[in-house]
Amino acid sequence: MMLTGQVDAALIDMMDAVLADYRNTHPPAAQAERDADLWATLDGLGLVRLTGAEDHGGSGAGWHEAAELLSATVRHSVRIPLAEHDLLACGMLDAVGRPVTDGAVRTLCVLDDRDSAASVPWISGADRVVMVWRDGGCYRLADVEAEQLDTAPGRNLIGEPRHSVTAGPAVRVGWDGVGVPLEAVEQLRLKAALVRAIQVCAALDKILELSIDHATSRIQFGRPLSKFQALQNLIADIASEAALARAATEAALSTAVSTRWDEPTLDFRVAVARSCAGHAASVVVRNAHQIHGAIGTTREHRLHEFTRAALAWRSEFGSLRYWDQRITDASVAAGSAGLWSMITG
Amino acid sequence: MSTTLPRLVPPAAADSAETAALRKEVRAFITEQLIAGAFTPSVDGWLSGWDEKFTAALANRGWLGMTAPPQYGGHGRSHLERFAVTEELLAAGAPVAAHWIADRQIVPSLLKYGTEEQKSEFLPRIVAGECFFGIGMSEPDSGSDLASVRTRAERVDGGWSLTGTKVWTSGAHHAHAFIVLARTAPIDPANRHAGLSQFIVDLHTPGVGIRPIVSMNGSHHFNEVILEDAFVPDRMVFGEVGEGWRQVTSELAFERSGPERFLSTFALLAAATDAMAARRIPRDDGLGRLVARIAALHQMSTAVVGALERHDPADVPAAVVKVLGTTTEGDIADFADVLVGDDGDTDASLEALVAAAVDQRPGFTLRGGTNEVMRGVIARGLGMR
Repeated sequence: MMLTGQVDAALIDMMDAVLADYRNTHPPAAQAERDADLWATLDGLGLVRLTGAEDHGGSGAGWHEAAELLSATVRHSVRIPLAEHDLLACGMLDAVGRPVTDGAVRTLCVLDDRDSAASVPWISGADRVVMVWRDGGCYRLADVEAEQLDTAPGRNLIGEPRHSVTAGPAVRVGWDGVGVPLEAVEQLRLKAALVRAIQVCAALDKILELSIDHATSRIQFGRPLSKFQALQNLIADIASEAALARAATEAALSTAVSTRWDEPTLDFRVAVARSCAGHAASVVVRNAHQIHGAIGTTREHRLHEFTRAALAWRSEFGSLRYWDQRITDASVAAGSAGLWSMITG
Repeated sequence: MSTTLPRLVPPAAADSAETAALRKEVRAFITEQLIAGAFTPSVDGWLSGWDEKFTAALANRGWLGMTAPPQYGGHGRSHLERFAVTEELLAAGAPVAAHWIADRQIVPSLLKYGTEEQKSEFLPRIVAGECFFGIGMSEPDSGSDLASVRTRAERVDGGWSLTGTKVWTSGAHHAHAFIVLARTAPIDPANRHAGLSQFIVDLHTPGVGIRPIVSMNGSHHFNEVILEDAFVPDRMVFGEVGEGWRQVTSELAFERSGPERFLSTFALLAAATDAMAARRIPRDDGLGRLVARIAALHQMSTAVVGALERHDPADVPAAVVKVLGTTTEGDIADFADVLVGDDGDTDASLEALVAAAVDQRPGFTLRGGTNEVMRGVIARGLGMR
């Protein structure tokens, strides 16, 4: 997505080209499944383990490159668990010193205190699941075959697999678990939340683009919609909200990268990104549908590939209300004496 | 980024570590001032907090005219450093109105368009906190449509004679001079922006009358300034005759993207946070949304300062900051107003902040170019006009 100059333009062009090519022959399905052929193609290009270390079969890139890749998949409406595999599951295995090179597709699941997890992304497209659970005062992790897990299927608004998982102590005892530092689990939550913020931002940008295209090409009352001030205002607000979401998300991302996710203010920065991206989605989706008119509500028109995606993702790894609550908690704790310094970092 | 649209707002490249030490100094100063009882945090302190003693204290610390070069008594500091200082002062609700226009508007304009004589005359006094300015742009019949100004400047021996009426000149009743946009040639319907010029007008010169415009809550910041054959010597022509429009519009990004476009009610937000912590107002997660927006606006506004420092065009991103920021300022006023009622346990100081905020609120999205005009600027930036 992100900081101009941070990522080689040729790399972004390559991502766009391969995903656009795929999208041309594969419109998004109502029920998204991981396409093994596309996965193999991306693997061949070094994009599947983009942020893995080179001596473990990865491409040695960072989060800025990963954010560009994620944004490209969103722009082309290609539903694929690249973030879940590379940034979350394999990233977690790297963090606990268990890097993998077996080529298995992975996702990640953090069990709650009732030994279950809701809305676990992409289990149906994964070979293995990195399971994380609380064990007394600390956490443990195991790399488990997906087929072994007790799951119930589910999907989000755009048809991406979101299973629920149950795994009690009797099941976990058979797993080869390792201890995980508490900070690693906290980082994982922030990484997952930021992934969705990056995806929402990319969707909002695409919605802006579609809205301008529509408003400039659709003629009503003898002139393009874009010549009506009322429509210009709707689009200006889309653009402004999308820009604010991006500013907040980029700030979180650059803080995360420059401090290697080890920064006390990161929690606040990610929450700000999720709050701004989530509230931006409300305005952007509403205005974009208003601009597009009835055609924008059809399956045929591409608008829903981005509006419904933005709404789905803003509610994952924490609802919008959850992130507003986090910031409210932090603000109340900081009080007037600490509020401003919390904002400036 | 690689969509077909260009980025509306540049990425924030500035590292907050660059200004961290400076921010710490300003915070220590503010704490000292608060302990000394020098000011009470207020809403809209950059418009309504006229306090020449506070301004003098800032001058003492080198925090006025920061970007002016040392040859004019300035401190040769970056826009980013000035931004950090002003952000800190506004976040604290400090009374900065006396020097605000001079420091924000006149210093960069003088550096860009001023003659050597004008720079030598005004910059050292602005830096010292001894010279205050107002702005003479709007007129009774020219609000958003600035090119329609009717104030005339006619050539006379040794200078110009100005006649017309300027409105919304904040602080004219305290300031020394104001910068006036006037017609030096009749309006040309084919080129409405031609024939405008700027003048530095001494507010104490004969032919200048100042009348208060009292705000709806009884406070007095704004004035009507009536010019009746007011003489302006040639040496006080600002920039080039006929170039007034270009001069005025080239500096708008500074005034539209700054921290005064999102921090005008921050003192209220901070007070509401304390009241919520003390359970004197109900807990409401709308607070988190507003704090998040202010944090993102801080990032965005910083990014625009970076663009201005690089002399990149910034009028469109500045309009984005202004639309979002001033709307959020107003949302903060309304948020607090909704939580504070006669069924609660709030103190008089919070209630006073709420009252000031709801009274000032309508101005937030009007001043400096209405948000409707700003949306037009954004639409143009997106290629729709």
